[in-house]
Amino acid sequence: MSSGGGSNGAGTRSMLRSPAVLIIGIVLTWFIAAFLVWPNANVLIQTFFPNGSFSGRAAEKLFSSQRAMKSLGNSFLLAVALSITVNVVGIFIVLVTQYFKIRGSRILFLGYATTFIYGGIVLAAGYKFIYGDKGIVTGFLLSLFPGMDPGWFSGFFAVLAVMTFATTTNHMLFVANALKGVDYQTIEAARNMGASTWTVLRRIVLPMLKPTLFAVTVLSFLTGLGALSAPQVLGGREFQTITPMILTFSNSPTSRDLAALLAVILGVATILMLAVMTRLEKGGTYFSVSKVSSGLQKQQIRNPVANAAVHVVAYLLFAVYTLPVVLIVVFSFADGAAIQTGQLSPGSLTLDNYVRVLTQPSGLRPFVISIVYSALAAVIAVGGLLFVARLLQKYRNWVTTAFEYLLHIPWILPSALLALGLILSYDHPSPLVGGAVLTGTTVILLIAFVTVKIPFTLRMLKASFASVNSSLEEAATIMGAKTLYVFRRILLPIVLPAAAAITALNFNSMLDDYDTAIFLAHPLFQPLGLVIKANTDGAEGVDGVSNTFVYTVLLMVITGVTMYLVYGRAGKKPARRAKTGAGGKQGLTPVLAEAARTDPALVP
Amino acid sequence: MRRLKTLVAGAVAVALLSGCGAGAAGPTPSEPAAGTAATAPSGPPSGETLIVYTNSNGEGRGEWLTQKAAEAGFKIEIVGAGGADATNKLIAEKNNPIADVAFGLNNMYFEQVKAAGAIEPFTPSWSGEVDAAKGDKGATKAYWPLVQQAILLGYNSDKFSKDQAPKDWTDLWTQDRFKSRYERVTGLGTATAQLVFASILTRYKDDAGDLGISDEGWKQIEGYFKNGTPAVAKTDLFARIASGDTDMGQMPSSIIAEREKSFKVNVESVMPSVGVPLAIEQVALVKGTDKKDEALKFIDWFGSADIQGAWAQQFNSMPVNKAAVAKAKPEVVDFFNTLKQQDIDWSFVQANMGSWVEKIELEYMS
Repeated sequence: MSSGGGSNGAGTRSMLRSPAVLIIGIVLTWFIAAFLVWPNANVLIQTFFPNGSFSGRAAEKLFSSQRAMKSLGNSFLLAVALSITVNVVGIFIVLVTQYFKIRGSRILFLGYATTFIYGGIVLAAGYKFIYGDKGIVTGFLLSLFPGMDPGWFSGFFAVLAVMTFATTTNHMLFVANALKGVDYQTIEAARNMGASTWTVLRRIVLPMLKPTLFAVTVLSFLTGLGALSAPQVLGGREFQTITPMILTFSNSPTSRDLAALLAVILGVATILMLAVMTRLEKGGTYFSVSKVSSGLQKQQIRNPVANAAVHVVAYLLFAVYTLPVVLIVVFSFADGAAIQTGQLSPGSLTLDNYVRVLTQPSGLRPFVISIVYSALAAVIAVGGLLFVARLLQKYRNWVTTAFEYLLHIPWILPSALLALGLILSYDHPSPLVGGAVLTGTTVILLIAFVTVKIPFTLRMLKASFASVNSSLEEAATIMGAKTLYVFRRILLPIVLPAAAAITALNFNSMLDDYDTAIFLAHPLFQPLGLVIKANTDGAEGVDGVSNTFVYTVLLMVITGVTMYLVYGRAGKKPARRAKTGAGGKQGLTPVLAEAARTDPALVP
Repeated sequence: MRRLKTLVAGAVAVALLSGCGAGAAGPTPSEPAAGTAATAPSGPPSGETLIVYTNSNGEGRGEWLTQKAAEAGFKIEIVGAGGADATNKLIAEKNNPIADVAFGLNNMYFEQVKAAGAIEPFTPSWSGEVDAAKGDKGATKAYWPLVQQAILLGYNSDKFSKDQAPKDWTDLWTQDRFKSRYERVTGLGTATAQLVFASILTRYKDDAGDLGISDEGWKQIEGYFKNGTPAVAKTDLFARIASGDTDMGQMPSSIIAEREKSFKVNVESVMPSVGVPLAIEQVALVKGTDKKDEALKFIDWFGSADIQGAWAQQFNSMPVNKAAVAKAKPEVVDFFNTLKQQDIDWSFVQANMGSWVEKIELEYMS
């Protein structure tokens, strides 16, 4: 059954010869069976076979609903459009900050990096403060063109614009990282042969970035499919997506089959997209083949017109990225009425909101609980998958392919259904977990957090392994190094920057989780998401909205600090080691002082 | 699912073997001593930690209750969740319950929890002080009423005088001057929205109609969605009234006074001739808790006239406990005295709400 060939592929038999691989295989099989397949199979069986027989009711209802079909169509439209626009903007900002010589690129970088630290409903609200019918830019435009429609910034165009600018995080982290691996000698050679800036970019640089670009494209597609808050705030009547409907239906026991069916449709589309990307990725060589590769140097754009144009666009984008953050921070000091009416008077800014949030009786406890849970889950997910991703990337056969697809199960179902599946499966002693009952324990939420993060972690890790030059590994093996030694001393240092970035992103995205925690949290250890929800829900008074802003700013601070800590260290060490050791060029964005925050899960 | 079936089958078998043919016992088979509602034993609280699920913990309610309970010797840990989430959580956990007590959910939600067999019949010490019609209407009572709230259609009284204002929900889409001047919901996930639709739909009950509602009734829903302006996420109705985007919309009675102040608007409420729907927050004992005695003592304490009165005083609410009404704010009591409660068949609503929400989401919302 061995398929795949060359230095990259190996058959099932040779794979099973290594004891390390065997152990990992067994652990992985158990984990997949116990936490990915069994709980979700349970919840799907319960929804689609309510009385032991299949009910086609859900499909019938959905396909005859105009609204459902239109929303579903909108979600797909957004997903496809976003896959393109995020790549265009994302590649542009990566090139501007890392590849071309642009004045003030560090400042630009910090501006573009603001998407790392916030997202969701507050981000959409931030854009509305600026471009909405009472927004600053709209007011300015109205004074220029009195006849224009103040509600211009709504519908598909507005949603696409906001989501494009909001989701370039993965480009900034992973594509930028991959760019550092491009061999400068090849570029120089091409230029000596007369290649233009554009040709070098198109024929040398971008092809090397392919595995990472494929991975982030899948993520953009997924983000578009799961769009929730941007359409709710900016979509208007014309452009609503399917996620709000999925959430409503998954909350109603009698309509849960509709939610599950919709989620499965989106999930299958994601997996198809994944398959296409995997196919495209196959067979290419994504590492430098030159014997002595050297680090990238920034390129001057030689055409003065083009150079000026790139500068202008870069700074315009900078303004687009930073304005909402500035306004969110300012508005977090205003009272709820001011936030909701968009009317700000300088005298009305006070510290009241912060005092109210920070002096609650629960105090800092929920913050600590969330930090511990998120950190544990992030480290476990990345640590556990480092080796797995390597195996999946190295051995390409039907077994590893099957494992890879199974590991993407959490992308198929919304987190509320994943949580219900875990409750259904483990509220009684189960042999799969050694006869233990998991509900009501502190472990079950951790398990859910880890599983939810698996697909994203795996995708990004696999992409970063793909850009490792296999000759390094071969050389070490020939000199007698054992598998583990090679992994630890050669592969790990090279992928560590990416792994650190993934860990930080995972950590950040789980800090304010609500959908999973609401069902699985231990009553005595309630994480931040539940407290935020209790303090920000529409029905909870005027303070609710200002609390939302305060929590957003507080989370920005936490994620900012985390990213600084993780990046500061990960950026320095491997760079040093890489020089003396593997000879790579993986020093990661040393100037990364801002932080990362993204939500690649179904609901952004 | 299979476990439940086994349980039910087992219970049926036991019932048959014992030769008991009483048909009206209802679907509460799994308790061995079915029919006898639990009551609290006498004695002081033991101080065991009780886990309390509620959707009524916002705006300092949770902290206030935890502290008052501690003063009375009860150690409680509040787990807050929205009404639908708390309901789903209670049902999902029924095989291995984590909570001991649940409160704050309305009749509609607790009826679902009861039907799933996740709460247990009991009788609180204050059962004589509340109007039983406001709680569980079944033969065995598994939840008891605490606080009532009116679900109103409120309008900007600076723009509409009492005479010009709508007289009922149906005016909004049948009279041209209200069209596009009222806010309509964009989702049916909240209890308030569901109660508004229960109030409209139950007027058109028709056994021959789709989901028990006549065509005329569904036309009303169509009108509601066609002619209203959609609500905006994270923007309060009062903020939109203040900015002139809209003039009226649904609101629970308890929030009006505070938001009028915050947004500097004046709002009056419509009193339809059929009355207004009441959302009545209830309290229940979770089935299978291992701290049943302590939980019952806590419920006895919490629902007592003293504590309900203090709660009403603190949070401007209207208690169901008649002895507590004296301690509530006079303006709140007056408002409820002038209010006519709409008579709604909750078991009909509970049996159909899921399908109604589904139909509305799929066919009428746009």
